[in-house]
Amino acid sequence: MSAYTVRDVLRPKTIGEVQEIVRAHRYIFPRGAGTKTALVSPPPEATVLDLSGLAGIVEYDPAEFTFTALGGTPVREIERVLAAHGQELPFDPPLAAAGATLGGVVACGLSGPGRYRYGGVRDFILGVRFVDGLGDLVRGGGRVVKNAAGFDFPKLMVGSLGRLGVLVELAFKVFPAPKSHATVRVAFARLDEALEVLLRLLTSPFDLCSLDLEPPNVLWVRIGGLPESLDARLHRLLAFLDGHAEVVQGAEERSVWERVREFGWVPAAWALVKVPITPRRISELEERLSGLGAVRRYSAGGAVAWVACPGDPQALDGILTELGLSGLRVLGPPGPPILGAWIGGAFGRRVKQALDPDGRFGPLPWEP
Amino acid sequence: MQHTIPVQRYGPVGEKMARAVEACVHCGFCLLACPTYRVLGEEMDSPRGRIFLMKEVLEGRLGVDEAAPFVDRCLGCLGCVTACPSGVRYEELVTPFREFSERTRRRPAGERILRWMLLATLPYPARLRPLLRIGLPLRPLRGLVPPRLRALLDLLPPHLPRARTLPEVIPAEGKRRARVALLAGCVQQVLAPEINWATVRVLSRNGVEVVVPRGQICCGALAMHAGEGGKARDLARRTLFSFPDDVDGVITNAAGCGSAMREYGLLFTGHAERDRATALARKVRDVSEFLDALGLIPPPPLARPVRVAYHDACHLAHAQGVREAPRRLLASIEGLDLLEPGEADICCGSAGTYNLEHPEIASELGRRKATQLLATGAEVVATGNIGCMVQIRTHLTSVGRPLPVLHTMEVLDRAYAGEPLTDRSV
Amino acid sequence: MRTADPIASLRAIYPRERILTRPAELAAYESDALTAFRARPLAVVLPQTQEEVIETVRWCARERVPFVARGSGTSLSGGSLPVPGGIVIALNRLNRILRVDPEARIAVVEPGVPNLEVSRAAAPYGLYYAPDPSSQGVCTIGGNVAFNSGGAHCLKYGMTANHVLGIKAVLADGEVVQMGGESPEGVGPDLVGIFVGSEGLFGIALEITLRLVPRPEAYRTVMAAYPSLEAAGEAVARIVAAGLLPGALEIMDRLAIEAAEAAVGAGYPRDAAAILIVELEGEAAEVESELAHLLEVIRASGATEVRLARDESERQRIWKGRKGAFSAVGRLSPDYIVQDGVVPRTRLGEALAEIERLSRKYGLRVANVFHAGDGNLHPLILYDGRTPGELERAEHLAGEILHLCVRLGGSITGEHGVGMEKRAYLPEMFGKTDLEAMRRLRRAMDPLEIANRGKMFPPEEVRPELAGVRP
Repeated sequence: MSAYTVRDVLRPKTIGEVQEIVRAHRYIFPRGAGTKTALVSPPPEATVLDLSGLAGIVEYDPAEFTFTALGGTPVREIERVLAAHGQELPFDPPLAAAGATLGGVVACGLSGPGRYRYGGVRDFILGVRFVDGLGDLVRGGGRVVKNAAGFDFPKLMVGSLGRLGVLVELAFKVFPAPKSHATVRVAFARLDEALEVLLRLLTSPFDLCSLDLEPPNVLWVRIGGLPESLDARLHRLLAFLDGHAEVVQGAEERSVWERVREFGWVPAAWALVKVPITPRRISELEERLSGLGAVRRYSAGGAVAWVACPGDPQALDGILTELGLSGLRVLGPPGPPILGAWIGGAFGRRVKQALDPDGRFGPLPWEP
Repeated sequence: MQHTIPVQRYGPVGEKMARAVEACVHCGFCLLACPTYRVLGEEMDSPRGRIFLMKEVLEGRLGVDEAAPFVDRCLGCLGCVTACPSGVRYEELVTPFREFSERTRRRPAGERILRWMLLATLPYPARLRPLLRIGLPLRPLRGLVPPRLRALLDLLPPHLPRARTLPEVIPAEGKRRARVALLAGCVQQVLAPEINWATVRVLSRNGVEVVVPRGQICCGALAMHAGEGGKARDLARRTLFSFPDDVDGVITNAAGCGSAMREYGLLFTGHAERDRATALARKVRDVSEFLDALGLIPPPPLARPVRVAYHDACHLAHAQGVREAPRRLLASIEGLDLLEPGEADICCGSAGTYNLEHPEIASELGRRKATQLLATGAEVVATGNIGCMVQIRTHLTSVGRPLPVLHTMEVLDRAYAGEPLTDRSV
Repeated sequence: MRTADPIASLRAIYPRERILTRPAELAAYESDALTAFRARPLAVVLPQTQEEVIETVRWCARERVPFVARGSGTSLSGGSLPVPGGIVIALNRLNRILRVDPEARIAVVEPGVPNLEVSRAAAPYGLYYAPDPSSQGVCTIGGNVAFNSGGAHCLKYGMTANHVLGIKAVLADGEVVQMGGESPEGVGPDLVGIFVGSEGLFGIALEITLRLVPRPEAYRTVMAAYPSLEAAGEAVARIVAAGLLPGALEIMDRLAIEAAEAAVGAGYPRDAAAILIVELEGEAAEVESELAHLLEVIRASGATEVRLARDESERQRIWKGRKGAFSAVGRLSPDYIVQDGVVPRTRLGEALAEIERLSRKYGLRVANVFHAGDGNLHPLILYDGRTPGELERAEHLAGEILHLCVRLGGSITGEHGVGMEKRAYLPEMFGKTDLEAMRRLRRAMDPLEIANRGKMFPPEEVRPELAGVRP
């Protein structure tokens, strides 16, 4: 089955047009570049709202370390402009090279391996303008890094999957990009050894950019910072790791993490599910998944599991529910976006009622 | 804070009380420094709440009796003063307020009798000793008496120490470095005369000549903190006039007394003796403070290492700001491993006669303090106040771990004498 | 239908000593740290368990009695100000730390736990709880969650919302809900994110899962003195432009220095027009390299004096002055209004110059303390309420400063929240549709508007469908 069948696809060029479209249609399905293949298949009765025409950086002052951009702006374009000023979004927004839009990253709530150090997409978003289910343009947050006025709509929109509003404009804070990086790949004999070292790293004094586990036994550790102290830090880290360690630097180092961000390790046409987790649950999950032929990667110090499987990820639903975990389909065949056990239903329903009382943006993502 | 206190109505202390209220910005930083707030968790039993209630009473908006239960529960530990970023002189509000409130409120008969009893006996060793001689054998009957008297009985030592009057002058050993006058105290002379003896020996050993003025009596602390201003002044006056003014320091070894004497200027505000009282107050030093400033002659090392936990008496740490001096003195003893208990800034619940007037809160605080001290792994507890010593001993015993509790001067005294810290019974 | 004792059935839930109704008891709860507002509640209840809180909220919903949850009452925006005719639910007895899990790096706490207690409980594992409002010795996690509290160290690691992973709450209509979990990652809309900072308008958080982080290995704290506020602000711009990301970046002006010195004696240079406190934190080797860059920048910035803290106690001393600065200002003036505006960092200099001009215009002194790294200003407007007209002038000055912040593209509040104090200004930041969406969200949680009624939103006419609800 293809990603989506041709139907009504509307491509607004202004925010006003977005509002008109929302008011004029019964069921709206926003999409960006379609990079999260499992999430871009609207039901036949929905009108697709293609936001790729709503692109462009609205404001960027490098001295302020903030920017504002329209929802359909490709992330790679933003990152290019930031890099020219030595700045970055530290959380490695996934699928940027594939063309992901800023709005899509926020709507799916996805962060890459770099979220380990300073947080993910939800920790960097400052402001949002969205079109709600009544077709009104609503602003939340602002453009400054500290703001406690009003309810925190920007955070609410993270992970909202287009079901609470259409994200037309977003403001983010950025950080200075580290001037140098180094990565250590270290292999252990078994999973539990790797996990033990992972746990020790979590409470260690090292400031790591990324900390990933490639099951069953390989840790990938990335540090970044001033070039004059990088070597000393690297040596200290190697002494701490005390396993079969390999240092990667330069262009090869960058491409390692590029590949992770782009999910290059996921076999072609396989499905991918994001599973928030904690380090102590990893062995449990590993045990349950090993029989399924799934390929896994644990990122951000064990805060998230990325599970790739050959067939429909619905098979994971039962396992996740049993383990008390939840999952989000990201790549692969479409289906109910949220799998497993998700506890926010009661509260989430009320939020939906307030922002989209007529259900213009489709059902809640955790309901079938 | 804004207020409409008619300052003149309260005499010269009115100004001081108003100033304290003004300085308070209601920020609440004092809440967790207050032992009663930590136990009771209610705003009325916090310094911020009490300041507000006292303000309301002084303004005429609230009756004295309505605010009284909460102001009564204040320990007077002044932990709030240490925590306050705005510099509120809480003691300049609560002490005069208590005096004002005693004049206008109606206490229930039982309370009045208890207070009268305490103030008629505790300040007078000649009355206290015979009473205790009668009272001690009654300890087994503690179950039959009302809770307040039971608390009193529980605090008494197993036996009454022999009376040992101090000489009028104790000469300095070796070269004389200073000359001081010592406040012998009231309850302390009866319950623990060895503290005074240890004090004069340690001072003498350090080249200090000690004068123990005859005619001194209770410094007035108990009465002052109970709001009996008139009685406090009567006692204080006698003590005041019995002290010579040609000494290098007026020394106290009971934290409650030292802090009370330092407040003599406030006590006598609006009275003829104010200047003389203020002059005396300026000379008051806790013995640990004085020795630290003078330069302690280090005692010989202990025969074996001993772990000692130091307890800050609130009237020494908060009211007088004396924290480092006793620690330095103890740390100068080789072999003494000085330990710091958690919640060091929270009162043990003794606070004058608090443990007699508010036994439940005092018990809770005493229990917490004992737990914190035991958690350090100490073998001995050292502190600078008789009231704390009694309270802590009682609660260590009640949790089943009766560690020796010594006065800082007793620790030094034994070190000088080459005596062990831990073999004597409590 | 009104009964003679409006809280008669509430007394069934609480023993006598945990439901306060006597005048002295109610008086103590009339205000929080924002003393300009006072209101007497009908009663104050002191629940000891989550169940009691839930039962109380359900009672309020049945009886249509407004309620205000209160921790330590340190809010600077009137967040815990009682609603007249309503009750106060004092949460400070729900002060248990339920669980510290060093492997998962989380702490699960009740709302009455003081902020600093979390770090104390985490300390044995080399972990701590990062958000550090200046009142952290006293303020509670529940309050922090309601107002998304900040502090000096949120430049690098964010505010409360960035450290809350999960919440269990009772909504105003009595339903108990859960959101989030133990992982810093999530799926679906960030429901925890919308609850944090909702200023008590949705309900009451009963159990909060907090993120703990490892203590930085090294801190290097520098205090630099400047001959003018502009110079200090310029130094901040240069530090940030150099690509450094300090843990904290604070400025205090002459008046604030004076107050802090009188309070704490931190050793600030009394003749400086402004001091800058910069703190680097992280891995030792990295911090040392950053320090070299920082000192270079500071030396080139015209500082008249530069001091580096040599150990932890010197570091604490530098911070003690800053953290007590607001309350210390009470020594300089009988009254003050503390504000909390934000301007884009690059416009700080402009904002300060304008505040100076306004101070002269209104004839009132303004002390300035602020988080220079994120443009979060705390002007402290000093006045004497007994002098006729001074309070009004102070309020007008305060209003003008808020307008200024909005005009420069900032915010009316960086971390204290809107509460009671700034509700009239919310329409300066948000338009009609924005406020409408917020109101709809609020009503979805609290149809009767009994949770912290009257706060955050500008006052509007009484909705007819709420007639019959007690005021």
